[in-house]
Amino acid sequence: MTYRMRAAFVTALITAAGLGVSAAPASAKAPAAPCAPESTVHETLPNGTVWDLCWRMDERAGLILENVSVAYATNPEAVQVLQSIRLAQLNVPYDSGDTEYNDLTDYGFGGGDLETLKSEDCKGGSARTGSDGSAEPRRRKVLCVSAERSGLAYRLHSYDFPEGAEEPTETIYSKQGHDLVLRAISKVGWYEYVTEYRLQDDGAISARLGATGDLSPGNYYNADQGWPIGKGARDFSAMHYHSAFWRVDFNLAGKGKEIVEQYDTRTDGQGEMAAKLTTSHQTIAKEGSFTKANQRWWRLASPSSKNADRHRRSYELVTEGGDKYEGHPETQPDVTFTNGHACEMFATGNADPECPRRQTILDFTSNNEDLKDPIMWVRVGFHHVPRDEDQSPMPLHWQGFDLLPRDFTAQNPLTPDGRKDVNGQPR
Amino acid sequence: MGSFRKWAWGLGIASATAVTAFSVASWQANAAPDPGKPGVTADQPKVSDPQAGPEPAAGVGADALTGDEVSRARTIALTAELKAGATDVTGKGGPEYLTAQIAEDGDRRADVYFYDYRNDRLVKQVVDLKSGKVAASYAAAGMQMPASEQELSTAFDLLLADPAAAEFKSAYRKATGKDFAGKGTVKVTAHVFKARHADAGAAQCGKHRCLQLVVESSDNTFIDINQFIVDLSGRKIARLS
Repeated sequence: MTYRMRAAFVTALITAAGLGVSAAPASAKAPAAPCAPESTVHETLPNGTVWDLCWRMDERAGLILENVSVAYATNPEAVQVLQSIRLAQLNVPYDSGDTEYNDLTDYGFGGGDLETLKSEDCKGGSARTGSDGSAEPRRRKVLCVSAERSGLAYRLHSYDFPEGAEEPTETIYSKQGHDLVLRAISKVGWYEYVTEYRLQDDGAISARLGATGDLSPGNYYNADQGWPIGKGARDFSAMHYHSAFWRVDFNLAGKGKEIVEQYDTRTDGQGEMAAKLTTSHQTIAKEGSFTKANQRWWRLASPSSKNADRHRRSYELVTEGGDKYEGHPETQPDVTFTNGHACEMFATGNADPECPRRQTILDFTSNNEDLKDPIMWVRVGFHHVPRDEDQSPMPLHWQGFDLLPRDFTAQNPLTPDGRKDVNGQPR
Repeated sequence: MGSFRKWAWGLGIASATAVTAFSVASWQANAAPDPGKPGVTADQPKVSDPQAGPEPAAGVGADALTGDEVSRARTIALTAELKAGATDVTGKGGPEYLTAQIAEDGDRRADVYFYDYRNDRLVKQVVDLKSGKVAASYAAAGMQMPASEQELSTAFDLLLADPAAAEFKSAYRKATGKDFAGKGTVKVTAHVFKARHADAGAAQCGKHRCLQLVVESSDNTFIDINQFIVDLSGRKIARLS
């Protein structure tokens, strides 16, 4: 998934350079260990960013990340981002209306359905051993931890004019980025699902679900509900939906109680050259479900933790929602905010005898509680129209969203020394 | 780590994949990558590669429950009252054990789930592993969780003992070109099945505990028997119409 690049691009910015301001980064301090060493991931990416977290497998939800914190070479104190992130449902109805699966709550992504990783599954990475979360837990290599290149992180061609110099000094700031990638594979019948979290060295977090394996061997219909994938026009493999949900619990700087804000931008008249646009925001004070609109986005801001510019630390949800399954009311909102309750763990099919009437996100929001410490439920749908290339195995198809740091640090956390004096309007 | 899929009866198709040794070079340290020369692919950045030690007796914080903790939690959760009042999927006294998972509060409490076939209800026992006591008990009807290994095995037995077995065997022959040679030659998993508005033939499912089986032959061919629903509560095979 790509997130919108909101930051203005700066080209050939002319500055009076500050040279070599800061010292080399101190090593990041990890918070007190909230889990055993074997369930800890603590890795430093080449640009100096350190991610620290706990992981475990749940029989239904599969891979769960907890206590996720980040530190940077530029900001070496580890700061918590997430309390937890986990899958919360995968709803798979077929277009014929004959078949529907809820792969987390009726089958399970963890336990015996987790694949033991083979070397090709985790090439270049570290396959970590831990409990598979089954009813009789077995210790296996179930989590792949790897560092992967993410392409160009930034670029800037800078012209500096040192005092007294006749010619400018040119500097090209260009850096490759990296992601810390956590990945697990669950086999659900003929499908195989890849749960993936990419923790980027710029602080962004990408949550994705990949689907591979094979198409359903039994679901073949007509041209309105399938696509011919064998010879001629005979075998119409069924079109179907994958509506995935994630449950995201932020705990920014360990202080929680994030404030949910929705931002909307509208066209507001005409300027001298172009349309005028106005951006406003509202605080979402009560539990509820929300849907994307053009130029709409949400962020969760700490009420008390601020960056060095005294701006509230926050993370922004970057989601497109994907295809929206209209067969259920609960698969239609793009995002739902609720208070955290221990017996609300799955977006649908939430089978907990402790709270039998709270079965879907719509039940969770029905009492309109004042939001005190929000849980964010994100839905991303994908209507899968099979194609010849899906046989076999099916090439991975992905769906997901990003969490983008907004004012978490006062500058780009990867800012090179030569740009550390750039902060605010040049004066 | 040998045979993690206990329900892959017999010839262990799955265990063959499970035991495949994971041979890794030792990726150590967090050194920055070699930027590489033109035309040469740079090395992938390194991550640490800690080797797992023996399983600890107990986890820390919200770590997954260890094998020892699950055993303890199951024993504590299965109170005399629960044992006396419930039956499992085979009809024996005591509820069907489904799973035990760490509760989220970080206090080493286990949520232990059972299905009580006598009363058709899902039971959750919250076990405080520190005190060794049941901290809370809950039960509700019409609520289902994924199937246990014993339930998968029982469901397949019920199918094989039903007239529907002839259709299964025919589907098996059609899919694999061979005759079905017995339970030990296939891997069985299942989705829990809950009836929706128009599901004729299995309307009781949801209130009853029902499974839609996924059967895979030893040559990785899936046998399509989606039309059959195994009603474990009613101990019969339903057919979707």
